[in-house]
Amino acid sequence: MAAPGPGEYFSVGSHVSCLTCLGQRLQGEVVAFDYQSKMLTLKCASSSGKPNLNDVILINLAYVSDVDIINDRTETPPPLASLNVSKLANRARTEKEDKLSQAYAISAGVSVEGQQLFQTIHKTIKDCKWQEKNIIVMDDVVISPPYQVENCKGKEGSALSHVRKIVSMLSIPALHVLLELLIVLFMD
Amino acid sequence: MSMKAGGNRSKPGGGNTAGAAASGAGGSGGGRQNLGRGRHSGKGPSPVIFNGVYANMRMVHVLTSVVGTKCELKVKNGAVYEGVFKTYGPECDLVLDAAHRKNPEPSIGPRKEDIVESIIFKASDVVVVTFKDVDLNFARKVSSDTDNFTDAAVSGRINGEHKEKDLEPWDGGETHNSDSLESLDTDVSNGWDPNDMFKYNEEKYGVLSTYDSSLSTYTVPLERDNSEEFLKREARAAQLAEEIEASATYKARVALENDERTEEEKYTAVVRGERETHTLSRENKYIPPSQRNREAMSWGPGRQNSPRLGQNSAGPSTPRPGPHDYSPSSGADQRVVNGGPPRMSPKSQRTPRAHRVPPCRTSGVPPGVDLISHNAPGEVPATPPTRSSSSGGTWSSVVSGAHRPRSPRQNSIGGASPGSSSLSSPQTATAPVETVTTPTSASSPTAASPAPNMVASPSGDAKECRVQETRQTSPSANKENIKPLDSSPSITRPVCKGPPSMAPDHRKQIDNLKKFSVDFRLQSSSNPDPAFDQMMTKPVRDPADKPKDLPLDKASTVGREGTEDGVVVIATGTSGGAPAPSTTTSNTSKPGSPAALSPSPSAPDQKRAGLDVTSQGVQTTATSSFSGPKHEEKEEKKEAVQDQVRKSTLNPNANEFKPRFNTQPKPANTPTPPRPQGQPSPSIVVQQPPTVYGQTVCFPQMYPLTPVSPGVQKSIIWKSPAMYQVQMPHMTVSQSKPYRPGKVPNMPQQRSDQHHPPGTPTMMHPATAAGPPIVAPSPAYSAQYFTCSPQQFTSQPLVQQMPHYQSQAQHVFSPVMQGSARMMAPPAHGQPSLVSSSTTQYPEQTHTMYVSPGPMPQQYPHHSATLHPHPQHPQPSATPTGQAQQGGPPQHGGPPSHPAASPVQHQQHQQAAAAAAAAQALHLANQPPQQQMYSALAPTPPSMTPGPNPQSPQASFPSAQQTVYIHPQQVQHGYNPNHMAHVQQAHMQSGIVPSHHPAPTHPTMMLMATQGPPGGPQPPMPQTALNPIPVSSTTHFSYLAHPQGTSVSQHSEENVRVAVFVF
Repeated sequence: MAAPGPGEYFSVGSHVSCLTCLGQRLQGEVVAFDYQSKMLTLKCASSSGKPNLNDVILINLAYVSDVDIINDRTETPPPLASLNVSKLANRARTEKEDKLSQAYAISAGVSVEGQQLFQTIHKTIKDCKWQEKNIIVMDDVVISPPYQVENCKGKEGSALSHVRKIVSMLSIPALHVLLELLIVLFMD
Repeated sequence: MSMKAGGNRSKPGGGNTAGAAASGAGGSGGGRQNLGRGRHSGKGPSPVIFNGVYANMRMVHVLTSVVGTKCELKVKNGAVYEGVFKTYGPECDLVLDAAHRKNPEPSIGPRKEDIVESIIFKASDVVVVTFKDVDLNFARKVSSDTDNFTDAAVSGRINGEHKEKDLEPWDGGETHNSDSLESLDTDVSNGWDPNDMFKYNEEKYGVLSTYDSSLSTYTVPLERDNSEEFLKREARAAQLAEEIEASATYKARVALENDERTEEEKYTAVVRGERETHTLSRENKYIPPSQRNREAMSWGPGRQNSPRLGQNSAGPSTPRPGPHDYSPSSGADQRVVNGGPPRMSPKSQRTPRAHRVPPCRTSGVPPGVDLISHNAPGEVPATPPTRSSSSGGTWSSVVSGAHRPRSPRQNSIGGASPGSSSLSSPQTATAPVETVTTPTSASSPTAASPAPNMVASPSGDAKECRVQETRQTSPSANKENIKPLDSSPSITRPVCKGPPSMAPDHRKQIDNLKKFSVDFRLQSSSNPDPAFDQMMTKPVRDPADKPKDLPLDKASTVGREGTEDGVVVIATGTSGGAPAPSTTTSNTSKPGSPAALSPSPSAPDQKRAGLDVTSQGVQTTATSSFSGPKHEEKEEKKEAVQDQVRKSTLNPNANEFKPRFNTQPKPANTPTPPRPQGQPSPSIVVQQPPTVYGQTVCFPQMYPLTPVSPGVQKSIIWKSPAMYQVQMPHMTVSQSKPYRPGKVPNMPQQRSDQHHPPGTPTMMHPATAAGPPIVAPSPAYSAQYFTCSPQQFTSQPLVQQMPHYQSQAQHVFSPVMQGSARMMAPPAHGQPSLVSSSTTQYPEQTHTMYVSPGPMPQQYPHHSATLHPHPQHPQPSATPTGQAQQGGPPQHGGPPSHPAASPVQHQQHQQAAAAAAAAQALHLANQPPQQQMYSALAPTPPSMTPGPNPQSPQASFPSAQQTVYIHPQQVQHGYNPNHMAHVQQAHMQSGIVPSHHPAPTHPTMMLMATQGPPGGPQPPMPQTALNPIPVSSTTHFSYLAHPQGTSVSQHSEENVRVAVFVF
């Protein structure tokens, strides 16, 4: 709860650590700090270990204690790049829809396998949705429970064959990861 | 903190200005401010004062960068909410979309009901917000390092200074160019003169050209002298140059460069011209056989199918031609033609003609149409030409008269008649003559002449009578030559047809014809060969025989009745010959004549216009026996063919028909009475069976269609058709069978249709029954009967021809035919004819559509399946109708109703086929019925039917394609067992199904549909009559509707319609 004293403003780029009132230790590079709202934004290495990603933490310093500056900023922070707002808005919308869709499936009683399949397909084919317990891919292919290869139906074509491929690989747990990798590769 | 999103947009940028001002507090504020300014400037010049967080550029930037990512937000009480970060407010209130309170149990995702659309968290309640795995560069528009030269990067660096660049007007500088520009507009010269270039280069660059106009570097100058050698060479060179320059190739190539015609002339007018030429020539001008052939040939390629059709139709058509002056003249012409290469390649000629005919139809040439329709395949072609050539009017009138009557009659007579009638009726509705012609053409095209004739004969003399009446009516035109002549003309036409088909045999035929001319009746009656002989002779005879023919014609004319009888007889003769020698002769003559006459002869006749009368007379005389039949109608020829075909079965019917004919014919000509006698159709039937069978081989092909009436035979035949056909050709070649062969050859195509007609004949009976319809019709029917028998015979001829066709177009046709045949076979009743017609039609259609082959295959399967049944059916008698068609004639009495219907259908089919063959265009040209038929696929021959038929057939076909299969099978199963009609339906369905397969091509579909419809229609008709009608309710309905329209006659009409549909 210790409010930073005057002059203890965080400089962008410095590393700080703190302890929240909930007992969570947080550490990261200062990205932004708003004195009025006492909101501090930290950038941390991705918790999932992905190199290109970061975890961003927004901290209300009003509920933080033990704020330590590990090291001060060594260089002038980089200029801020302009942002594509529409792109962000789209991301927000799709993320929301995805979550709602997922929630729909869950509430519809779709099996875990089905959800898993949906998520897997959704990774590469965004145009997939739930229809009851059926997964509709590209409005073309329908995958009905129990979501096996033979359950994939639709107009013969690349879409159907592709979906079947995904489904068939999903059915083999060991290949699950590989499948995703392949999908990523192929899709790219 | 509850402000929310108020500043969403302004956030990122907004913060900047504010940031700059307000964030002075921050150590890095300066930098921020700068950055912020940059952004702000980007966003907009308006000075916006940002409050709170929005004033903190860095905070705005980072928070904006994580918009749209999932985050976990912990509040003071320790609850954790998960949602999509949507936005934030100036007080750093946070908005999460689709947020839900995260449960301790990690596994299960949120339920729909757990999710809140969006939640606004006050900054004061928020302890920490975690955005995992965020790509902070996700929304970064450009990486400054990598994208320096894009517009965005460039403008981005300007950062805020949106000052528009000042546009500067382009200064062209000196105006010296204006001169040259002007010169470009006024300079007419084609670039620089070479000498100017040389001069310019020399002056400007000092380059001297070594150009030598003599090109001595490349060639040696010619040393001219007066030596004999040189003169010789020079002369030789000049000669060669002349030859080269005179060559069509050279001209064609030069024309490409020097063609001053407008594009319209080159690309629009050409077609018209050709068509017109063909049609017109046919109608009004005499076209040399060779040219005709050419035309035919030209058409032929596309219309290979037509050959059969032509042949088939030819058989019928020939009769038509015969009736008219055309037949005579045409006979002669045909003879000539046939005698020539044309005859030799009757098929080709025929086909061409047939092809032509379709065009004619399309073009609207009534005669051609009639011919086509009548002659369906062969005759049509030939006849059309003849008609057109001789005198479109006369022919048309004659044809129309005959045809119309026929068609109507046919329609009235049997189911076949329905189609024809429908067609005819429409046609009739239109101008009697022309319309009639068209109608007839329509009806006659395929079945019309054949079918009609057949029908007439089968259905009874009534049809013939009608036909005759019609003839008489139209005959007036024919009468030009002489009413008798008219009758004879028809005969002659047949004769002519014979020649075409017989082509090779033409000479023989001619000889035979001569004999016939002398002994016509006897020969014809005695042997089909006579017909062939006639056919053969006709070509030859035409010239020489013409005189004879004239006498004969006179004789025949003298007693048109005789002629009619003859016709009938012919039919019968062909079939059985028993009826009466004369009749048989007529039949034979018909066959022969039809083949020769109808195909090319008719054309020649017509072309010979002038000769028409004389030639007709001659032909008629030649045909005298023929003429009788012919007069009865080219139909008779068809009938003859059909009769032949029918002979086996038809004869009985034929007899019946003949009587009617006689009655009706009488009006037109005494011949009718003879016909009744001739009706010998029974006898014919008898004969036919043999001949037919012998021919059957040929028939098979034909039969495919005919199968229905012939049913078993046809079906059987079909299988062997190829074999037979091949043999048949030989047969035809052989004079022994002259008449039949001749007829057959000619008939083949026509006959094939006619075969159907045979069925139609049976149909005719109904028609006859109902029939009185039109006088002409009866004749037509009779003719049809004849044709039918002829067809059977023709089937042989056809076979012969077929070989050609097969070899040439047979591929398509045979397949189609087979397919249709199969289809037909199922129909066994009248369907065979229908099938045949349909097949023929298909072929024609195929021309347009052609994919039909595909359909064919499909059909085949079905057909095959059905065929087997059909064959059986026919044999059993179950096929009475079927038999009636082929052998049907005999059965005509009983079966006739059904058979008749089928016959009618056949005729119609033929006609329809012819019409179809003529191309849908014909349909258009033709009356609505045909069109409808075709369009509808013949389901509803008449206007009404088209719709229904199409619907049922089409619907079943198109949509059903997949489904259709089932239907076919089902239909076949159920139907076959039940009735021929069923079978037909099945066929139809099968046909439909095939179409589906072919589906790719609508045409095929159309064809299929047409086939299907026919089958469907027929079946329906039968069903309606029989009750069995399970077929498609729709079709039935349509059909039914028609049937209902006119009870008996209606039935016939229905049949016709059905036939149409089949087509």
